[in-house]
Amino acid sequence: MGREVSESCVESLVAEIVSSYCRGFYADKPELAAPRIEAIGFQVGHQLSERYTMDRPRFTDHLEAIKFICKDFWSELFKKQIDNLKTNHRGTFVLQDNRFRWLAHMSVDPSVETTGSIQDPSAMAENRAAQATGLHLYFPCGIIRGALSNLGIPCAVSADISNLPACSFVVRIKA
Amino acid sequence: MASTACFMIVSKNDIPIYEAEVGSVPKKEDAAHQHQFILHAALDIVQDMAWTTSAMFLKAIDRFNDLVVSVYVTAGHTRLMLLHDSRNDDGIKSFFQEVHELYIKTLLNPLYLPGSRITSSHFDTKVRALARKYL
Repeated sequence: MGREVSESCVESLVAEIVSSYCRGFYADKPELAAPRIEAIGFQVGHQLSERYTMDRPRFTDHLEAIKFICKDFWSELFKKQIDNLKTNHRGTFVLQDNRFRWLAHMSVDPSVETTGSIQDPSAMAENRAAQATGLHLYFPCGIIRGALSNLGIPCAVSADISNLPACSFVVRIKA
Repeated sequence: MASTACFMIVSKNDIPIYEAEVGSVPKKEDAAHQHQFILHAALDIVQDMAWTTSAMFLKAIDRFNDLVVSVYVTAGHTRLMLLHDSRNDDGIKSFFQEVHELYIKTLLNPLYLPGSRITSSHFDTKVRALARKYL
């Protein structure tokens, strides 16, 4: 059951999903594209977590499941582990990946518009980069949410991209 | 070698998603109801035992006359339950592992809604073939 897929195919597919959902299927209702992509990610995460937990013993608590996501699950998907895991011990976890593979090859056009805006140019460039790449993170958020909910942990996952190519995923467990 | 065996898959919402009589003894009608009843009654015990261990294969967890219930719990808390009268633990463990793989393949089908009944006749045929091989 374990076969391999070319990584560039996966990256192209994910980029194309975002592009076709935002500009094609939901062109007149762009706010519906994000939940739809996240739902696709949810189903994928559900199936992947079932497959990757097949040969290992079950989890005894939430922390074990999150650690599985950070180590085994992430290394199956992205060939590396999560670089930093933080928790507040009250149901919130922050998973930080210092070089997220699916975003590593994305660049944003740095040319600044001359509209006489008083905003700091570097902040504007960052803002545009954040907007463009934010859409690409719904799919991984959905994958994490699907995997955790299959392991019995209902949660909400959001992504934080304050400094690319590093990105953090914030997991909030619903009590 | 005649053996009675009744196999059931219960999802994590406690809904049975697959049932089959896989023994080699020709089944009698009331025996089938009784087997279902025994398996359902064992669910409470599985619930308690599942939290005590991190292994997947919980061996014989309940007895009824000379029939034994063995359970295999997956990480997604789906329970594969087998009611049998043989004592072949290794065969049963291999049977559970193969059915687990079959179940994952079913889950990978994007048209399959997780938690709904498994109606594929292909799945049914394969489970019965595995039962003949291992039990």
